[in-house]
Amino acid sequence: MIDVRGVTKTYGTVDAVKDVSFTVEQGEILGFLGPNGAGKTTTMKMITCYMPPTSGSITVDGLDVVADSMGVRQKIGYLPESTPLYEEMGVRDYLNFIADVRKIKGSTRTQAMERVIQVCGLRQVIHKDIHELSKGFRQRVGLAQAIIHDPEILVLDEPTTGLDPNQIIEIRNLIRELGESKTVIFSTHIMQEVQATSDRVLIIDQGKIAAYGTAEELKASIAGQTHLDMVLRHADKSEFIESLGTMSAIHLDDVILQKNGDLQASLNVESGVDMREQLFDLAISKKWKILESSPSAFTLEDVFRKLTN
Amino acid sequence: MTEILAIYRKEMKTYFNSPIAFIVISSFLVITNWLFFDYGDYPFFAINIADIRGIFDYGAIVLLFIAPAISMRLIAEEKHKDTLELLVTMPITDMQIIMGKYLSTLVIFAIILAGTLVAPISISFVGDLDTGIVISSYIGFFLLGATYLAIGLAASSFTRNQIIAYIMGIVSIAVFFLMNGMANGSGMIATLFEHLSVRFHYQNFFRGVLDTRDLLYFISMIFVALFVSSTALSSRKYR
Repeated sequence: MIDVRGVTKTYGTVDAVKDVSFTVEQGEILGFLGPNGAGKTTTMKMITCYMPPTSGSITVDGLDVVADSMGVRQKIGYLPESTPLYEEMGVRDYLNFIADVRKIKGSTRTQAMERVIQVCGLRQVIHKDIHELSKGFRQRVGLAQAIIHDPEILVLDEPTTGLDPNQIIEIRNLIRELGESKTVIFSTHIMQEVQATSDRVLIIDQGKIAAYGTAEELKASIAGQTHLDMVLRHADKSEFIESLGTMSAIHLDDVILQKNGDLQASLNVESGVDMREQLFDLAISKKWKILESSPSAFTLEDVFRKLTN
Repeated sequence: MTEILAIYRKEMKTYFNSPIAFIVISSFLVITNWLFFDYGDYPFFAINIADIRGIFDYGAIVLLFIAPAISMRLIAEEKHKDTLELLVTMPITDMQIIMGKYLSTLVIFAIILAGTLVAPISISFVGDLDTGIVISSYIGFFLLGATYLAIGLAASSFTRNQIIAYIMGIVSIAVFFLMNGMANGSGMIATLFEHLSVRFHYQNFFRGVLDTRDLLYFISMIFVALFVSSTALSSRKYR
């Protein structure tokens, strides 16, 4: 459905995106993950025909984004980052304007309006002006304009950023619902979001693809290690780091000195080895008190941090 | 065409949903009529001649400040609020966006022109007004405003800041308006500047002369300005 091949985008002398290739199958939801400035938005802008790639090619349903730009635009619904809307317009006026530009007329328009009001839950705000709306409703209006022409493909740039937890879940459910019949690409920097909604994950860092696959595949890619979270009292940070340095099976991931003086450590341990006894003995000898020690499986978050650090 | 009209309707709604349209239309009419009837060495009531040329002489100057105020928001505001990104990824060409927006400013200007009709109509009751000259003057004034607005739109498409768009608009229009005064004498450069200046072509309309060269001048100015605007919009593709 979407075929990105060897795409590079250069701004001046900086490569925002470097030789990126991936495909999105029909009906698939692709989660686009990466730290800020990694090239997520740039990639989306190229898919939505905002600007052409410097080199490489992108086709959408067989149409080239440069040569058949207008055709591609008709197939795509796009929600840019930070949901730009015309503040001074009413919600209905705004949706009518989008329908005008997209040449949706007559009974098709009536049905389309009814459908987006229904799907995006806009009934109670349809007579309001956009500047009166809460962030959550603004996001729904943004989604409504993106699906008003019933596009095959949805491109959503950070659709849940800035929303409160309830709104996030609502929008996430909406994306999942829309994903049942449409191909969706959405970007985020929240891991759970990708795990909760997408079929496949693409992690991008510094303009390059760092990982690409299902969430399970990505987690498996860093198998061979388990994770151990500990909280210690009366432990000195540098002494702790030094002592752990002598244990070859342990790789220190992160140590934080909490406000109350407790040490919170996150360790990666080679799998098949249980280090908890040694750590216990170490703590006794140093007179540290172990308040917590919990092994856990790797999450997508770990994959992300490992790949993009 | 549907797309152009869609943009046009949206812009008209924005102008009339806010006080912008009211403020620019009324400011122009109040200032111009005041200058015409009551200001300067030869106010209308003192010179006692049924001639409305003053409306267009003063109007051309007032419009220099009013036209960029109408067009400054057109693209700059869309850039500032990032709505442009959504607009240019819909199935509409950059030129269609520019045309739709330009059309809305022309209609605002037509309303201003209709407002100035009060002067010739009332004067025609008290004196003998040359209808031919009035009509050619109105054609000239419309073309002048249309050119100003197109230049203002071009200024707006280079920046995301409306104040910069406004000032750039005034300055660019002033350059073309005053160009004939920039070079003295009868050399080639002086002639070129004169022929490029708005004022040179504008003046003929008040003598009741409709010269194709003048019409062509204004129409090409408008086309060049609209082309520049559209190119500025498309420049995102070549960065």
